[in-house]
Amino acid sequence: MSKALIHAAILALSLLAAATARAQHGMPGGTPMTFFVTSKPIGDGGNLGGLAGADAHCQNLAAAAGAGGRTWRAYLSTQDRPGAPAVSARDRIGAGPWYNFDGVMIARDLAHLHGDTIELARLGNNLNKRTGLTEKGQIVPGLNDYKHPRDTDWEYVKTTPYSNRHEVLTGSQLDGREFPPDLDYTCENWTSNRDPEAPGMGAGPNRPNAQIGFPDRNGGGNGSWNSSHGTTGCSQTALVRTHGVGMLYCFAIN
Amino acid sequence: MRTVTVSISLGSLFVLAAVNTAFAQPPDMLPDSEDVPSSLMTFFVTSAPIGDGGNLGGLSGADAHCQDLARAAGAGGKTWRAYLSTQARPGQPAVNARDRIGEGPWYYPRAKLLDYLNRRLDRSLHKSQIHGDTLEEAQRGSNMSKEFALTEKGEYVNGVGDPLPTRHDMLTGSLPDGRAFTDDADHTCNNWTSNGAGSAQVGHSDRIGNGNQSWNSSHATTGCSQEDLISSGGIGLFYCFAVD
Repeated sequence: MSKALIHAAILALSLLAAATARAQHGMPGGTPMTFFVTSKPIGDGGNLGGLAGADAHCQNLAAAAGAGGRTWRAYLSTQDRPGAPAVSARDRIGAGPWYNFDGVMIARDLAHLHGDTIELARLGNNLNKRTGLTEKGQIVPGLNDYKHPRDTDWEYVKTTPYSNRHEVLTGSQLDGREFPPDLDYTCENWTSNRDPEAPGMGAGPNRPNAQIGFPDRNGGGNGSWNSSHGTTGCSQTALVRTHGVGMLYCFAIN
Repeated sequence: MRTVTVSISLGSLFVLAAVNTAFAQPPDMLPDSEDVPSSLMTFFVTSAPIGDGGNLGGLSGADAHCQDLARAAGAGGKTWRAYLSTQARPGQPAVNARDRIGEGPWYYPRAKLLDYLNRRLDRSLHKSQIHGDTLEEAQRGSNMSKEFALTEKGEYVNGVGDPLPTRHDMLTGSLPDGRAFTDDADHTCNNWTSNGAGSAQVGHSDRIGNGNQSWNSSHATTGCSQEDLISSGGIGLFYCFAVD
């Protein structure tokens, strides 16, 4: 079988699977989309052009999908800097509830989304691999979907849309708030594409880095949707090294 | 000519192999041939139900089912317990699932030797993490996932989006913290002896369904017969943990 045929088969299977899931659970449709994972990255690593650039990316993708009538915000925090107070991702995204491409509710409100109480946190929100869809309704490829030795290589990943890319930039702690200012968790507030000189992963002195989460809730030893672990750096190639491409969560605030 | 073609192909393979080693080894591309002996498995989902709905023959019947399946998979040398709670009855105190399973950490059925040697040293289940004993642990989550919650044969358990029947409802009879319910309603199919009246609390092995992600306490079944379990999204499977 040719590679193209295999890929077509994989696509067909995932479409069938998605359809089955909807039919089986009778997921309600028709509710307008107010949440999505970006179908593509900005492409310059952790340099998103700041919060404004990231919001514009959300807005543009939403508009292209026919959802540009709302105000969209990227789920990103920034850290405290001289003259620029910190911003919490959770304070940027409105009050909810938020619905995905299929009209399935991701979370009722901020407390549900973040698990603000231990009871809420134990049950979790409704963001998972089947609901963490892009603005086009696509499932975000994650672990084990399509293993390839080069799926940590940007040159391969950028032309292979079904390869693992499940790390979403957030720069946030588990509660949706920013990290303290001393170490970088936000690629210098989303303006940097630099990499640390020393190899390694996660935050540390002189380590440009971004905190990420998993829409498929599978990875990093925990599956946190918004704060699982750090990256190896802020360049596009560094993001890919741990199976991300610089995707964002986008929420409509109205 | 055939010989030439073959040697060219082999040559390309060697080039590919050389290229591959230039990339950092991501954790997902480990060779499948490095299986840990299955006796090192300390957690699995039952590959088959007992088959009589919520009547498991009590905790002892469920434990025996875990032990039998483990033995058939070459892991009978350990002591296995079903992750199930029972509710208090006259003269019979409640039993918490979390208190039955030892202390862990637990490793899943397809753990690879290289997982331990390389980047997945932390790929295990920890008791406090799977139950969210602190707010941070509850928010962060654990390794419990569809890819982790495999049968003793190392197979996936059909979940949302997979071919029917869905098998992801895991009998637990437990609250999200792994303890028994304390109200008067039935959450354990009469302490795992009923195949008719009653209800059982279930979790989802794929962490999908009912608007939450709970692996151990997502919703109640509509009844305790095998048909009731099937109509709720399961076939009567449960989690097994090794206590030693």
